[in-house]
Amino acid sequence: MDKIKNNALVKKIGFNRLVLCCVLILMYIVFAMLSPTFVSYNRILSALNYAYFLGFLAIGVTFVIATGGIDFSIGPVMFAAALISGQLLTKSGWPLILCILISVLVGVLFGVLNGYLVAYCGLPSFITSMASMQLAKGIGSVFTKTQSVSWPQVTDAAGWYRKFVKIRLSSGVQLPSGLVILVAAMIIFSIILTKTRAGRYILCLGANKEAVRLSGVDVKKWEMLAFVICGMCAGIAAIFYVGAYTTVLPGLGDNFNNEAIASCVMGGTSMAGGLASIGGAFIGVMIISLLQEGILAMGFPINWQYVITGIIVLVAVTADIRSRRRKN
Amino acid sequence: MGEVILTMKGIDKSFPGVHALDHVDLEVRKGEVHALMGENGAGKSTLMKVLTGIYSKDSGTITYEGREVEFTSPREAQDAGIVIVHQELNMMGHLTVAQNIFIGREAMKGGLIDDAKMNEDARKLFEMLSIDIDPTERMSRLTVGKQQMCEIAKAISHDAKVIVFDEPSAALTEAEIEELFKIIRDLKSKDMGIVYISHRMDEIKVITDRVTVMRDGGYVGTLITEECTKDDIINMMVGRVIYEDPKTQSMVKPDAPVVLKVEHLNAGKMVQNISFELRKGEILGFSGLMGAGRTETARALFGADPKESGDIYINGEKVDIKTPMDAVKHGIGYLSEDRKRFGIVTAKTVAENTTMACLEDYMKGIFIDSRRENEAAQKYVDDLKTKTPGVDQLVVNLSGGNQQKVVIAKWLARNCDILIFDEPTRGIDVGAKSEIYHLMNELVAEGKSIIMISSEMTEILRMSDRIVVMCEGKKTGEIDIAEATQENIMHAATLRK
Repeated sequence: MDKIKNNALVKKIGFNRLVLCCVLILMYIVFAMLSPTFVSYNRILSALNYAYFLGFLAIGVTFVIATGGIDFSIGPVMFAAALISGQLLTKSGWPLILCILISVLVGVLFGVLNGYLVAYCGLPSFITSMASMQLAKGIGSVFTKTQSVSWPQVTDAAGWYRKFVKIRLSSGVQLPSGLVILVAAMIIFSIILTKTRAGRYILCLGANKEAVRLSGVDVKKWEMLAFVICGMCAGIAAIFYVGAYTTVLPGLGDNFNNEAIASCVMGGTSMAGGLASIGGAFIGVMIISLLQEGILAMGFPINWQYVITGIIVLVAVTADIRSRRRKN
Repeated sequence: MGEVILTMKGIDKSFPGVHALDHVDLEVRKGEVHALMGENGAGKSTLMKVLTGIYSKDSGTITYEGREVEFTSPREAQDAGIVIVHQELNMMGHLTVAQNIFIGREAMKGGLIDDAKMNEDARKLFEMLSIDIDPTERMSRLTVGKQQMCEIAKAISHDAKVIVFDEPSAALTEAEIEELFKIIRDLKSKDMGIVYISHRMDEIKVITDRVTVMRDGGYVGTLITEECTKDDIINMMVGRVIYEDPKTQSMVKPDAPVVLKVEHLNAGKMVQNISFELRKGEILGFSGLMGAGRTETARALFGADPKESGDIYINGEKVDIKTPMDAVKHGIGYLSEDRKRFGIVTAKTVAENTTMACLEDYMKGIFIDSRRENEAAQKYVDDLKTKTPGVDQLVVNLSGGNQQKVVIAKWLARNCDILIFDEPTRGIDVGAKSEIYHLMNELVAEGKSIIMISSEMTEILRMSDRIVVMCEGKKTGEIDIAEATQENIMHAATLRK
């Protein structure tokens, strides 16, 4: 076992992440054996639909968790962004490109709010994001007068945003363009996290905020930035959500918080802060997406997914805490 | 004084690299107040920890009430009747006085906590000690003095026969100390044995019957308080042979300019009206006993904690320092006494910690230039002779001395001209210690200026060009190295203004 762990290549990728990949493959095999119809290209596309928006939520929340904080508002913020921009698009007839920007802007604004309250006012991120979660749900509902919003279909003039998710070739074959975008985004944000000043300080302040502050670093600014990145990603996630599922209902979205956070923690991001992996979060997202697709394919009610996600979070967090205790 | 109740004989205790207690003796009689004195790090607390079973002793015997004992936990010692009243109060502010006193052994009635009975018991206890405290009052609403009284009452309620007071007066006002002494005299008349740890000379003369002095983990001697003078005790406390040559005169050039001037700095109780000057190429020692306010002064100066008032001048120019960011911008670096919490990010690499304060110098566009960063870190590793397998090593894996070097590297990389070393060699072994000293001397030779806070007398005398002495948040002395002796420093450090 140690021999495998000390292999140079294994070390580079990370032992935990390799295990996760195995889990992912194993899950696929299990679902395939349980349900003969599971193995199909459409199933994979369907699972990927879930992975896109969840992937962006997970990227964002990774930055917040890296600071040692938490953000429980991302799911509802994503919905609020989709509702507000969707309402402007479908009811007020605003141009699509502007509405996409507004969606991102709504996310950024929530990020600014959360970040300011946590970094500059010293509120606990747990409480702050709980409150802004309610705020996001409420604002989304009020803006649409508690109506659901359906974004344009691919056949509509304003439907080209769906090409972000998948492209249908003239031969009828569908290509998962969303996967390309998500992977590209993962790489970009991973570089931000590891190769820029922002990422460096975010990770360091997550590990020991006081030491970083006493080094003369503007910790408040960088901590706030993590929340802003998180909000922005929720705004982007909104476009991928409607691109895949068209309709948004007001007052929902909190279940996605847990799934995004679970993805991060599974992928090796420590809830204590200071340690984060976007690549790991990607695998986590794939596992959760496959899981929900599998549960649907089995014909179980969707609520089973919540049970399993809950268990995954518990297992992942326990493993995280235990490995940290060993190190100490 | 009555018969002997507690004897500790030949107590020996070693930790890795430190001989903490070297055959220490202590004898306490019934109805006696026995002072235990010594400088910071002399081993007083360690001795008391051995007594109450927090540490196990390597050799020696403890005889209590005529039989040999060895406690394995404070709880056991407590049950036998030996209790400590700690300097830091272990109280839960949101609970009532009575709930605090009986925590862990609440009176029960039918499966529920019987608050009425606990209040009644506490009231009786206070009556016995003639203390005026309402048992139903919330602990956080009491003054520190009253809280201490509660801690004493709690100790007594354990049926104590020996009570250890660990610097009980450190946080008390004059009036509260009077009241404390009244209680101690009362306990004494009830035939209890009392160990009184304090740094305050005047108190020792007032309240104690005998004094045992410790130095560097060793036993120096026991005196009868009435028969000795304050100077006798000080001489016993400091009378060590200094192996390293102390500095005999200031190395600062007479015309060296003042780089830092602090005027009337105030920040809470621990920093009251502190003024001093630091000159180019100078090591300004800050001496004093634990809790004298030296670290607080440094933190207020550095902007780590808010200050109430005071002016700071750098190179003659008045500057506004509100946050560590401002301080660093003005070229001040602070090396904390608590490296792991305030100095380094242990979970990050040597390179990452080295460039922490000046990352903007190692950028290529928006990206960190890892190559240059690693080169810079490697340069400081070489210059400071930091022992690490590489600059990508996590700092947590380095020894204390090498961690300290990483902190020094951080401020050197930032090119700070004024460095505040807070206990620069705490937790560092002897070899690394002299390297750090060497390094500090090189830094001042290069024209940097250093404020060095130290609780080690030898360190102060060896390194400083000038010494500021503090006691209880006030500056009580400023001594040029040419005139400095252990005695006059210790005098100033115990001077209550």
